[in-house]
Amino acid sequence: MSSTTLLPEEAPLPSHARTKSSQTKRYGFFPGCVAKESCKELFNSTMLLADKLGIELIELTAASCCGASVLNDVNRDVARVLNARTYAQAEALGLDDVITICSTCTGHMRAANKELVESEERMTQANAILGKFGARYNGSVTVRHLLWLLIDDIGLDRLSSMVVRPLNGLKVAPFYGCHIIRPESVNGWESARQPHSLEDLITAIGGQPVDYAGKTRCCGFHVQLEKDGIAPAMVGQNMRMAKDNGAEAVITPCPLCHLALDGYQADSAARWGRTDLPTFHLPQLVALALGVPAEKLGLNKHIIDPRDAMVARELIS
Amino acid sequence: MATIKLDIFRFDEATDTIPHRDVVAVDLPETTTVLDALEYAKSEIDGSISFRRSCRSAICGSCSMNIAGTTGLACKTACNTVMDEDGVVKVDPMPNFQPMKDLVVHMDPFWDKYSRLKPYLQPADRDEEHPTERRVSPEDMKKLVDVANCVMCATCYALCPVVSVDPAFAGPAAIAYAYRFIEDVRDDHRKERIAQISEDYLWLCAHCYACSYCPKHVDPNDRIIDVKRAAISDRVMMDERGPRHALVVSRTIKHSGMLEETEVIQGTVGRFNVRGLLKVAPLGMRMAMRGKLPPLFMKPIPKVDEVRQIFETLEVPVS
Ligand code: SF4
Ligand code: SF4
Ligand code: SF4
Ligand code: SF4
Ligand code: FES
Repeated sequence: MSSTTLLPEEAPLPSHARTKSSQTKRYGFFPGCVAKESCKELFNSTMLLADKLGIELIELTAASCCGASVLNDVNRDVARVLNARTYAQAEALGLDDVITICSTCTGHMRAANKELVESEERMTQANAILGKFGARYNGSVTVRHLLWLLIDDIGLDRLSSMVVRPLNGLKVAPFYGCHIIRPESVNGWESARQPHSLEDLITAIGGQPVDYAGKTRCCGFHVQLEKDGIAPAMVGQNMRMAKDNGAEAVITPCPLCHLALDGYQADSAARWGRTDLPTFHLPQLVALALGVPAEKLGLNKHIIDPRDAMVARELIS
Repeated sequence: MATIKLDIFRFDEATDTIPHRDVVAVDLPETTTVLDALEYAKSEIDGSISFRRSCRSAICGSCSMNIAGTTGLACKTACNTVMDEDGVVKVDPMPNFQPMKDLVVHMDPFWDKYSRLKPYLQPADRDEEHPTERRVSPEDMKKLVDVANCVMCATCYALCPVVSVDPAFAGPAAIAYAYRFIEDVRDDHRKERIAQISEDYLWLCAHCYACSYCPKHVDPNDRIIDVKRAAISDRVMMDERGPRHALVVSRTIKHSGMLEETEVIQGTVGRFNVRGLLKVAPLGMRMAMRGKLPPLFMKPIPKVDEVRQIFETLEVPVS
C-alpha cells in the first residue's frame, strides 16, 4: 500500500538486503531498449563508469523489453512473465542482482518481481510458461537502479574520494521523474515525497544541487504520442522551475526522461520561455568526475549542447 | 505544546487581484492535525480564514489542500510531519483549481468530469433471468469496494501533472469511478461508458503514479490500467492513438523482444498520416542531427521464440 498521509518519512524504508552480487562485484545488467536504441551514449558511459568503479556488469543479452507501462495496458500477465524470463536468465548465470539504468525499467521490473515473489499463484503461472522452454525462476533476484548501487555498494564517501575532476560547483537540477520513486510500495528505497539521493550524489562529485518543485514530477514521455503538445508542456513546466532556481544543467536516472527533457525544451519555449538546460544521463556526470574523458561520453549526441555549461565551470576547455 | 506557525495563502476573488500570505501562530500540541490548527486559528485569532471541512475524520473529502508543497487531507495530516525547522506549516489551495477564497477553490471542473460519467447504475430492463433483482456475487463486489471508498476529495486531481497542462483530461478520480461502473455486473452501459471516458482522454494518463497518494487507497493509477484493458478487450475506440500505441508496442515486443522505437512512432501516429508524422518530425530531425535515431529495423533478441511463446500462451492482443 502506498502512503496515506503526508508524513514525509512515515514508515522506515526497508533497508536493502545485501545481495551476493554486491559482494562479488559481478552484477546482472539489464540496459533496456532505449539505452540500446536512441540513447546508446547512456549504455557506453555506463560501461565506462563500471570500469572506473571496478565492477563487472554482465549484460543479460537474451533479455526482452520489460514491457514498460504499456504492456500492462494490453494484458495483465505478459509483462510479469517476460520479466520472470529475464530473472531466470540472471539466476542461471548465478547472479542475484539485476542492475538497471532506466527508471521506467526499475519501477516496472520491481513491480513484476514483487508480484511474483509475493504470490505463489503468479509464480506458478510464470514458471508453467517458462517451463515450456526449460527455464525457471526461483525468486532470488533483486532489481536495483545503478543510482542505488552507487550509494549502497560503492558509497558516497568512497565515490567522492575517487573524484579526480570535481564538477566545480556546477549547479545541477536533479530530475527524479516518476518510476524510480513511485509508487513507494514498489520502489521504497527512499522517500518518494522527499528523495535526496541525486542531491547527495551531485554533492559527492563536486556539484551544487538545485532544489525545485518539478524534480519529482512527470516529464510526459509516455504520452508524447497520444496527444500533441502534452509532453513539451510538462517538460517546459518542470524545466522552467529548475532554470528559475538557478540550474545550469540537469541530471536524470532515466533515458526516457532524458529523451523528453533534451528533446522537448525547444518545443516548450513558446509557452514556458527558453530554458535550454543541458541534460546529463546519471552515469555521464559521475564518469566525468571520475576522470573518464568527456569525448568518450557521447555528449555530442545530446540535442541541447552541454559544452557551454561545462566550459563555464572549466570542466572542459 | 508547540508554536505552530500557519503560513496561509490569503485571497478573495471578490475583492483581491493578487493573493498575499498571513502567518498565524497557534500554541497547540505538535501532533495536532493541520485542520484542527486552522480551526483554532479561525475561532481564536482570525475569523475570516476560509477553508472547507465537515467530518474532521477523512470521510467527507472536503478538506484537501496543499500542505508543505504537496496535496492531502488536512484532517489526516499531523502538523509535526509537515512543519519546517522554524515550526512553519505552509498551506495553500489545491493546485489545478481556481482559488475562490483562501483555501477554498472552485471545484466545478472536477464535478463536471464526474457528472459526465453518469455516476449511477444503468441496469438493463427486467428480463426472465432477472424478474426482480440483479445480484452481485461477493467476488464481483470485491473488485469495486476499493473504488467505492473514494471520498471525492480531489487530492489526486490536484496532484495530476496531465491535468495541470491539459484541463480536458478526465483526471484520476473520474477514470477510477468510471471503472466502478464499467466493472459492475449490474450495469448495462459498459461500452458507452468506455467510449465516454476514452473521449475524455483516458489514454492521456502518463503513468506517473502521482495519484498513488490517494488518502483512501483508491489508487486510481491501477484502475486506469484496468479501464484501458477493458477498452482493448471490448475493442472500443480502437482508432485512437492510445490503443494503437499499446498494441504496436505489444506487436514489436512479440516480434523482436524489444520495443522498436521507429515502428512504435509510425504505428501510433499512423504510417500514412503525413501531417501527424510531420508534427513529430521536428524532434526526429533534432535527433537525426545528433546521430541518435533509433534503428529502422531491429534484430530480434536471442531466443525470441521464447518471448513469442509467452505472448501466444497468454493470448496477448497485438492488433
Ligand atoms: S522501460 Fe522502456 S526501455 Fe526500459 S526496457 Fe522497459 S520498455 Fe524497454
Ligand atoms: S519522468 Fe517521464 S520518463 Fe521519467 S519516469 Fe516519469 S514518465 Fe517516465
Ligand atoms: S481517488 Fe482518492 S484522492 Fe482521488 S478523489 Fe477519490 S479519494 Fe480523493
Ligand atoms: S498516473 Fe495518470 S492520472 Fe494519475 S496522476 Fe499520473 S497522469 Fe494523472
Ligand atoms: S474534513 Fe472531511 S475529509 Fe477532512
